Formats: sequence, C-alpha cells, structure tokens
Amino acid sequence: MLTSTDRNWDWEIKNQASWWGSGLPELWSYRYLLVGLVRRDFLLGYQQTVLGPLWLLLQPIMTMITYVLVFGKVVGISTGESPPVLFYMAGIILWNLFNDAFTGTSSIFRDNAHIFSKVYFPRLIVPFAQLSGFLISFGIQFLFLLLLIAYYLLFTAWQPHPLGWMLLVPFVMVVVSIQSLALGLLFSVLTGKYRDVKFVVGLGVRLLMFLTPVIYPMQYVTEKWRWVVQLNPLTSLFELFRWALLGQGLVSTGPLLYSISFTLVLLLVSLLTFNKQGSKLIDVI
Amino acid sequence: MSDVALQVEKLSKMYRLGTIGTGSLRQDLQRWWTTAIRKKEDPFFQLDPTDVRRQTLWALRDVSFEVKKGEIWGIIGSNGAGKSTLLKIISRIVRPTEGTVRGRGRISSLLEVGTGFQAELTGRENVFLSGYILGMSKAEIRAKYDEIAAFSGIEKFLDTPVKRYSSGMYVRLAFAVAAHLEPDILILDEVLAVGDAEFQKKCLGKMREVSQSAGRTILFVSHSMQAVTNLCEKCLWLQHGQVKALGEVTTVVNQYLANAQQFKLKQNWDQPADAPGNDRIRFKYIELVPQHAQPDSPLDIRTPLTIKFEFWNFADEILISTSLVLFSYSGECIFDVPSTATMCQKGIVSGECTIPGNFLNDGSYYISLYVVKDTSTSLYDYEECLSFDLEDYRGEIKWYGKWWGAVRPLLPFRLTQTEWVLQ
Repeated sequence: MLTSTDRNWDWEIKNQASWWGSGLPELWSYRYLLVGLVRRDFLLGYQQTVLGPLWLLLQPIMTMITYVLVFGKVVGISTGESPPVLFYMAGIILWNLFNDAFTGTSSIFRDNAHIFSKVYFPRLIVPFAQLSGFLISFGIQFLFLLLLIAYYLLFTAWQPHPLGWMLLVPFVMVVVSIQSLALGLLFSVLTGKYRDVKFVVGLGVRLLMFLTPVIYPMQYVTEKWRWVVQLNPLTSLFELFRWALLGQGLVSTGPLLYSISFTLVLLLVSLLTFNKQGSKLIDVI
Repeated sequence: MSDVALQVEKLSKMYRLGTIGTGSLRQDLQRWWTTAIRKKEDPFFQLDPTDVRRQTLWALRDVSFEVKKGEIWGIIGSNGAGKSTLLKIISRIVRPTEGTVRGRGRISSLLEVGTGFQAELTGRENVFLSGYILGMSKAEIRAKYDEIAAFSGIEKFLDTPVKRYSSGMYVRLAFAVAAHLEPDILILDEVLAVGDAEFQKKCLGKMREVSQSAGRTILFVSHSMQAVTNLCEKCLWLQHGQVKALGEVTTVVNQYLANAQQFKLKQNWDQPADAPGNDRIRFKYIELVPQHAQPDSPLDIRTPLTIKFEFWNFADEILISTSLVLFSYSGECIFDVPSTATMCQKGIVSGECTIPGNFLNDGSYYISLYVVKDTSTSLYDYEECLSFDLEDYRGEIKWYGKWWGAVRPLLPFRLTQTEWVLQ
C-alpha cells in the first residue's frame, strides 16, 4: 500500500527536528500572529488600570528617583560629569529592555504551555512578539529621556558632546535585544526541562545588574577589578549607550568587539538549541 | 496516485511513565558527572530490561494509512487508544518516536475550542487573535469577518470582553472562527462535543459543506458514532495505539460497536444453591437474545430483543406470573409488562418475551424480573438481572442532536399535500 515514498510532498514530519527550524518563509507567513500577540500583550497589560500606558513612564521615573536619592544622595556614588537624573535614567531604561526581554523569553514554554500543546505555529513567533513589545516600550521611554536631555541642554550649564553620536543608539539597542533574546531562548529550554532554573534566572539577573554599569560609571571602578565587570558582555554596550547620549563612558574597540562576537555566537547556539529541543519539550511541560 | 493528501507511515510514539529525566537540574548534573566523566554506573537508573518495559508506554505503534484528497476520515477508539496522540503528531505539536508523516497543502488543527482566546479581550479582538493563531492572514479574516459573526449568532456581543460571555457563546464564537479556516487538511478533535444540539447540527453541516464543495480533507476524532457515520466516508479504529481496523465507515463502526458492547446479556447457574433467589424461587438461566440479521452487528434501536429465562419452582399447585420491568439507566421505569398467570408444579418454569425493534429509544437499559404468586404476592424480585445498550440509528435523517423521549416507536405517520396554490 505504501510504495509512494519517492513522490513530492509539501512537508514531512520525522522524529528529529531540524537544527535550522522551519525557516524564514514560514516565520514570515505568521507575521500577522506576531502583530496580533504584540497587540494582545499591550491591551492586556493596561486593561482595567487607572493610569494605563502611563505606567510605561512612571515605572522608570520612580526607579530613577529612588536611585538618585539612595545612590546619589545617601551613598554618594558619583555619576561623573553627567547629571544624576540623566545618568540613572539612561541606565534604567536600557537595563529594563534587557531584563524584560530576557526574563520574558526564558519562561515562554511555561507561560504558553496551554497554547503550545494545542496548536502548531513557529514557536519563535512568541519571543519575537514579546521582544517587539519591549522595544516599543523602550522607544517610548527613550523619547522621554530625550525630553529630559533637551531640558538639561536648554536650562542648565551641562554640555554633552555633539548630538550626532546619538545615531549609535539604534546599534546598541539591536545588540542588547539580540543578546537578551538569545540568552532567553537558551534558558527557555532549560526552564522547560528543569523547574529549578526559574529561580536561577530570577536571582542571576538581579546579581548581573550589579556587574553591569547601571548605577555606577565604569570609570570609577578600580583598575584592579575592572576586568570582572568587563567580562560581562553587556558592560561595553551600556558604556557606549551613555557615551552616545551623554558623552560619558569608557568606550574602546576591544570590549565592544568582544560583546558583539559573544552576542553572535550566543544567538547561533541558542537558535540551534531552541529549534532542536523546542519540539521535544511539549512532551515534558 | 497524486491525489493522496496525507500519508502516515509506521508511526510510533513512546512515552516514558513517571518523570522524564530525574526532573531536577542537580540530579541530572550529578548523573552526567558520574556516567560521562567518571565512567561509572548511573546512580539513578539502574533498571533491568523488564523494568524499562514497564516504565514505557507506546501510545502509538506502527500506525500506517493514506488519506486521499477530499476524503473525510473518522478516527474512533476508546479512551487512551492513541487518537489524540495521532492528531498531535500530524498537527506538528509533538514529534513521533519513529515513523513519518508526509502531506500536501496547508494543514490546520483544532484540538480544542478557543485555543488562545483571551478572557479580557473583546469578541472581535479574539476572532482576529485566534484566527492568527490558527494560521489565517489579516486579509482572510477581514474578508470573512461578517460571515464569522453571522455564523456565531452573537453579533450583538462582539464588542464585549469574552469573560462576560456564557460558556455557550464562547464556544459558538470559537467554533465560528475555526469553521471558516481554509486549510487543505483540517484536523478536528471532539470539538463537536460542546454546544447545544442546534449548534452541533450547524457545525456538522458546515463541515460537510466545506469538504464537498472545496475538496478539503478532514480528519475527525469523535466518540459519537452517529456523527462519524453521518459525516465520514472512511474510518480508522485505534486500539491500544495500534490500527484495529480501517476502511469504509459503516463496516468499521459496526465492528467497533459490537466490540464495545460487553454487557450483562446472559447469566446461568448449574446448582440451585449458587443461584439467586430464595426457598420458593431460584433462577437457573436468563438471557437476552438479539434478533439481528448478522451475529456480529451491534444492538441498535432496530434490533428486536428476546428475553429468555428459566427458574426452579419449589412449590406445588401455585399460580405464578412474572413481570418484566425495563428501566432506563437513570432509573426511570420505561414499562412493566406482566406475563400470563400459569398454574405450576415443582420443577422448572421457563418464560420468553420479545421487545420489538423500532420501539425503544437509544440509550442504556437494564431489566428486572419480578415473580409473583396469585398475581398479587411477591415471590422473588430479581433486580437488574440484565443490562444492555442500544445504539442510535437514523438512516437518512440529517439531525444529530439527542433524540427525545423514553421510547421511539415506529408509528404509521404520513404527510400528504392536499392543496396546491396556483400561481
């Protein structure tokens, strides 16, 4: 009866997933789902809240005020030549992008188990949609930061370097996004398999913040310990981000190249792992 | 032979029972350390081969079949037979352990009604979201939106969050989206088990319509034999993960039903001491004999049923009659029929009564026999001595809801047109 193995089929399901996943054409055909999911997350996030999307700005502003009071006034960490408000705000919004995208992606199998076990679509759509949502939030927060910068330019004596360097911001944004997504994908497979990893992620990301120049400028880290902070591939990106915006930061090619190559290798490894392991995880979760 | 839409070849799926891996990262690392680095024995899995066999379950084993374009297949089997696993593999949700599935064209599956619905969002937003999840494009949903709204029958509520919907409305909307999918192969799992009779009828009608007009291939898992026989042409019967039968729908469904009907159809006792009864009456034998054409076909509402019984009578010169009482499974009495009263001596008394075909409604029934002296005093009540199931049969009737009534007798009933309006 089944002698027809040599005929042309549109698709085939075998016991092993391909390393390369389903490919770009399939992802593209599900672009509407991506937009739909972004829309859903946005609508759900602010449904039945009084202030609605205003929380997008309130959250980093409150954090910034806390940092200015605690680290600036009480502890007295210097922020160099930049006004503390701008310094902390820049650090906070970039850190939020990384933090949200990473922790969000790392739990997609647990959060979407009920959908993943009932219907097929390329699983990568979900982290992509999440990331798109976080990039939109980042964009809004960034515009607010620009307003703050404009205020300081016009009404204070603070003078940064030429504003043209701001064109580097999209570059930083892309590399940080890729890094958080790649790391998240890798951890999503792990958290799907081992529930313990969920706690590791929560704790790890909090500790990682202290190894990233979010609340302190790199130039005030003693030479002896600087290499520890620089091992973190996020470090040079945060420095570049602040330097592009505020003209303050330790930027050099070496650490930047390290960050970029780290990101690319991580992306490759995590995509391959995700494609290979993702379809097996449904049996486990 | 280019009209084959789906080919399943030697498909197997194995599940490990209990936990997969050790379930915790620490133990998996420890295991990896001992086995891979120190080359020692596995500290967690020291099982002999028989243990391994006990810990695994083949949800599917060597399942092969071919579906031609435009065919509707029913997939039947008892719970745990592997039906859902098969659909999940074909829909690319889980991977098979062995074997291959090949297909042509776009495939969509509906394993649950309302996958991806968000309680907080409005009906309208959910129509789009669930359409996207099922693989439709924005243009497609836009084009069909009015049709979907009309099919669901809840146009008025589409701007209300679905969390305020009744469960019926929710299901209607969810199915309406799915019914307007246009894949080449559609996979459905028990989705018709929800909704009221009228809506079920609408769904089945819609499915029939799309398969006939658009040449769509459908795989349909259901426990409703009525729906399967009416909708499908071919049928696959799975049992314990293996193909028990496949072919024309009526043949396979009949085999399946005959196999599933293992009720109390016959009891007999050799010694009066073991038999149910008392010092006046003891039953010797009781049997329900279906009078059907073929011995292996299932009991359905057309089958005449003969009840035969014998009992030992321990008294002389006694006027005995027997009542045959039929109960529905929920305990309502359908009828209570007395036999003639007969003067009996010590010995064996036998009785026989036939319930005609085309008289009872479909459902589950049990029978009690009451033996009475002088048509007034109870000698022995034998409760629930037989039980059986009657399957539905509707012939050409295209209505699939539950048929009302305790009985469904075939009465002479005609319609005649007596006047014509002239144009």
